[in-house]
Amino acid sequence: MSFEQILFYLFSGVLVLSAGAVITVRNPVHAAMFLVLCFVTTSALWLLLEAEFLAITLVLVYVGAVMVLFLFVVMMLDINLARMREGFARYLPIGGIVAATAVGIMGLAVGRINFGLDVWPAPPARAADYSNTRELGEQLYTTYVYPFEIASVVLLVAIVAAIALTLRTRPGTRYQKIEEQVVVKKSDRLRVVQLESEGRK
Amino acid sequence: MLENYLPILIFIGIGLVVGGGMIAAGFLLGPHKPDSEKLTSYECGFDAFEDARMKFDVRYYLVAILFIIFDLEIAFLFPWAVVLRDIGMFGFLAMVMFLGILVIGFIYEWKKGALQWE
Repeated sequence: MSFEQILFYLFSGVLVLSAGAVITVRNPVHAAMFLVLCFVTTSALWLLLEAEFLAITLVLVYVGAVMVLFLFVVMMLDINLARMREGFARYLPIGGIVAATAVGIMGLAVGRINFGLDVWPAPPARAADYSNTRELGEQLYTTYVYPFEIASVVLLVAIVAAIALTLRTRPGTRYQKIEEQVVVKKSDRLRVVQLESEGRK
Repeated sequence: MLENYLPILIFIGIGLVVGGGMIAAGFLLGPHKPDSEKLTSYECGFDAFEDARMKFDVRYYLVAILFIIFDLEIAFLFPWAVVLRDIGMFGFLAMVMFLGILVIGFIYEWKKGALQWE
């Protein structure tokens, strides 16, 4: 077994264990932290596939940004743990069916039939100066420019939707008006009062 | 290519050993004499009267989601910057359009006052 295979089994073992922990630990904040560990080990696996840009983006976007959002949501929901636990037995059959279907479909899609080494032979290892980012960029902004522009529209929709859903302005709040502060003149703020000088009494 | 990332693997290993080793050393070498008084919950002399988790203002969520969107935008900029010489004017204009659409969203959130803290 080569060193890379050992690393693969190490990282995927940690990934499977932490993914199990995400759904079994009682504290939702701990579950979110295990999800962070999942993302980090997945990024290591992607790096083993020589997809370096995607691996680092996974850490940057998911660990750096999405998990912050997850933690906010976990905090915001103020989850009642005891109430969430009830109904486990009631939902078990339908949950089991959904899980079995998902596993079956995944097995069919990425199983040995479609992804075995006889179907896709292992690509040769890249040289040390190979840049996955360069290869990605050459395709993304020329061949796939249309999906790329659609991504920006999706992000725009996300901005508008997030603002429309969560922005609440309280009446009577005071803002700093920077433009008024900048254009203010001496005569607006300062009044020079001429007073008669008075002698000492 | 993977040999470039060997230092990171070594760093992960050292981090695990140092971090885990400190906790293990504290656990093994420190004295353990628990009694009932030491194990009680303590919060400035009171019993803990509130859960640590409480409801947040929803506007933190808004800041977080706007951060994610612009984080993604930056993630798209990295490969573009790497290949800018090779993709020519077409690739340059593609990114100009991408940024232009997102600037519309940026102007919208600015004018709406979503960036303003009350």
